[in-house]
Amino acid sequence: MRKKKSTTFLTSGYMVLILLFIYLPIFYVVLFSFNESKSLTKFTGFSLRWYESMMNDSTMLESIWYTVLVAVIATAVSTVVGTITAIGLSKSRRIIRTAVLEINNLPVMNPDIVTAIGLMLLFISANVQLSLTTLILSHIMFCIPYVILTIMPKLRQLDDNVAEAALDLGANPWQALTKVILPQIYPAVLSGALIAFSMSFDDFVISFFTAGVGINNISMYVYSMKRYNPGINALSTLIVVVVTLILITVNVIPAIRDKKTKRTEAKNA
Amino acid sequence: MKSFFRMTYPYILWIAVFIVAPMVMIALYALTRSGNSMLTFQFTLENFAKFLSDPTFMRVLWTSLRIALLTTVFCILIGYPAALFISNMSERKQTMMVLLLTLPMWINMLLKTYAWRGILLNFDLESETKVFIGMVYDFLPYMIIQIHTSISKMDRNLLIASYDLGANKWKTFLKVTLPLSVPGIISGITLVFLPAVSSFVIPKLLGGGDYVLIGNLIEIYFLQAGDWNFGSAISLIMALIIIASMYLTRRMDRNGQEA
Amino acid sequence: MKKILSLILTLCLAAGLISAAVAEDYDPVKEFGSNVLNVYNWGEYIDKDVISRFEKEYKVKVNYSLFSSNEEMYVKLQSGASYDVIVPSDYMIERLIREEKLQAIDKTVVTNLDQLLPEVMGLSYDPDNTYSVPYLWQNFGIVYDTTKIDPETVEEKGWDIFLDPQYAGHAYMYDSQRDSFMMGFKALGYSANTENEEEIQAAYNWLREVDKAVKPAYVTDEVIDAMANGEKWMAVVYSGDAAYILSENEDMGFCAPKQGTNVAYDAMVIPANASNPKLANVFINYVIDYENALAISEEVGYASPNAQVLEELSGPDGDYEGNAAYLPRTGYEKDEVYHDNQTLMTELAELWIKVMLHE
Repeated sequence: MRKKKSTTFLTSGYMVLILLFIYLPIFYVVLFSFNESKSLTKFTGFSLRWYESMMNDSTMLESIWYTVLVAVIATAVSTVVGTITAIGLSKSRRIIRTAVLEINNLPVMNPDIVTAIGLMLLFISANVQLSLTTLILSHIMFCIPYVILTIMPKLRQLDDNVAEAALDLGANPWQALTKVILPQIYPAVLSGALIAFSMSFDDFVISFFTAGVGINNISMYVYSMKRYNPGINALSTLIVVVVTLILITVNVIPAIRDKKTKRTEAKNA
Repeated sequence: MKSFFRMTYPYILWIAVFIVAPMVMIALYALTRSGNSMLTFQFTLENFAKFLSDPTFMRVLWTSLRIALLTTVFCILIGYPAALFISNMSERKQTMMVLLLTLPMWINMLLKTYAWRGILLNFDLESETKVFIGMVYDFLPYMIIQIHTSISKMDRNLLIASYDLGANKWKTFLKVTLPLSVPGIISGITLVFLPAVSSFVIPKLLGGGDYVLIGNLIEIYFLQAGDWNFGSAISLIMALIIIASMYLTRRMDRNGQEA
Repeated sequence: MKKILSLILTLCLAAGLISAAVAEDYDPVKEFGSNVLNVYNWGEYIDKDVISRFEKEYKVKVNYSLFSSNEEMYVKLQSGASYDVIVPSDYMIERLIREEKLQAIDKTVVTNLDQLLPEVMGLSYDPDNTYSVPYLWQNFGIVYDTTKIDPETVEEKGWDIFLDPQYAGHAYMYDSQRDSFMMGFKALGYSANTENEEEIQAAYNWLREVDKAVKPAYVTDEVIDAMANGEKWMAVVYSGDAAYILSENEDMGFCAPKQGTNVAYDAMVIPANASNPKLANVFINYVIDYENALAISEEVGYASPNAQVLEELSGPDGDYEGNAAYLPRTGYEKDEVYHDNQTLMTELAELWIKVMLHE
């Protein structure tokens, strides 16, 4: 299956365009974190004042902490629950599967304000004070559907017989799950987790109506600004830098290590 | 496989509390008259009648559906080739690409939309074009990731078998890859179309204020007008219409798979 | 005589408090019952140093929560969440008072009230300032590019400049049913709070005329940046935002139309379910004090209720010297404060949607 050079050129060209499109506004956000004035459309000169302003803004810094904390917990819980449920659903009777998936779609479909007020009414009627816990529960609630939606298509492609065969050969269900099913759907689980994390990270309306007193996430900070504060651009730049560093550590270092091991193996051989 | 089936129990319990119960309360609002307290329900269908009888509301709903539909179509057209190309990369590169696509989603949507506003100021475009650039931008990563997930780790033997049987690239794509990716496209549509119908911040900011959309309307009724009953009714009508259209899509999917 | 006595009493109390804050055996928990204060305010609407100074001086922790609209804040309150100080706008304060959701300000603690302008006190939403202490204020008006539009024309035509087709494609309107209808009401000589059906219809028609004549873009906060860049010739904005636009772009001018406009107040209130009302009163008093009021108004750009601050910032060498938008118009009988009326809001919202849809 050798590819023609022109196709490779075309495909990489296309991917470069897509990435440019996706990163263009990010560059813009980063650029304006160094702007001298408050303007979002006119670059008047280089300055680090918004980084300084960010460092002195305890509400803004606290908002990073809440955003990350909530996103990490919500992603962890919703990935585990979503994966287990999706696998269970794929083996369920069709009527149950359809019903659950239909209800599962509701949070994706409902406008945030409806989900938010619905949850707030739920907490009020259960006599639960809004807090960090209610905020996390709400995030788990709207994250799980995204995980399930991402994993289900992959499960539909799976060959049922493989898991059955594993069970027939004496594997217990747990082994069939972890040794047979999970390895096959692993990329979908990862994608689901990433989407869940992004949804949680960027949510404003639902967070606003379910968070307890004194809890603000980054989105709440951004939406409530009566006056635009480019400190938020500085904060976003910080996020981009940190995540890029993590990406490099996760992806590049193993690659280098692999190359090294290959080289030593070659030497030894 | 009974033991696997039991794995759904916790979530069924969860959705009963966290999805169904709040929705029942919203439905109660939609079916009652505004102004009365929770204790003295007075059931009515007038909220629904009000929506259906006013052409303005129907127009707003139609515009929202049209924008969401076109956004979804653009996302599929642009996203499918991207997903396909990614799935042909090495496994490590694939993970890297998926991460690269998700990273921008962690930057606040409002901030990115302000950025687009600034960027697009330099171009003389129709406001509708600007709206679609913003909408496709926001939803494209979801579509690519969904389609990619469904075609990554696809059984390579199928492709090789197809080539062995003398099928050319196009034929292989149409007969093997495309059908396999249909579930991914469907969940991509779900993740793009459903939220797109009720999203309104991007069209508002990029469309020069020329767009009143259904999500906007619902928020106006819940907050500015303080009329939760009518706001709830609009969201229910919207949900019913979307569910009906998703049902049709799914039937088409089933028919397509059977064919 | 009584007045003098009470004044002395207040002074003693105030002195007691201040010394309490400095005294070595001072314990905020003993003094106020708790060392936490929950403040609920708009984002980017304070000088952060004021908060940290207050925290240091009183050895307390201020838990700062943010909201982006009165309506969101109002819904959030219904969850039973307990805040100590909130900063809503005038009409929302009126609603909260009516619904008995506020508690009275302790005027033996809030002694700095005498530093405030008489014009910002005793307004219709809270006639005796029983429940609220002004925070910042401003009025609604027209920002325009003086190189494109003659200031005299704006002064003369007021809101009606939005009916002039020669500005087609060069105007921004604010996407808010309340403020837009106020323009119509005032242009036609009605009250901003009218509930008269005919007057509402007339204002609706006025807005439809505007839509046809100048084909405005209906925007929200992005108008501030857009006008600072001179993207269009004219826009309706609040004077606080106009003050920023004028300081960024010297071509811009501001006009509060002579047909009358809205004067908007944001004021501090203490909810009935506040958990630390004692400290809340101390905080309110701290915020309106000259030094802190100065810092806040300087940072935010909206007019301060503190008389001395207002004079200094708009006077010679002040941050807003010569800025036509910083100082709101006072004592003009055609200017009005909004009243709370939710049914009216629903009706206006519905009509406003039709205006924006060009129906």
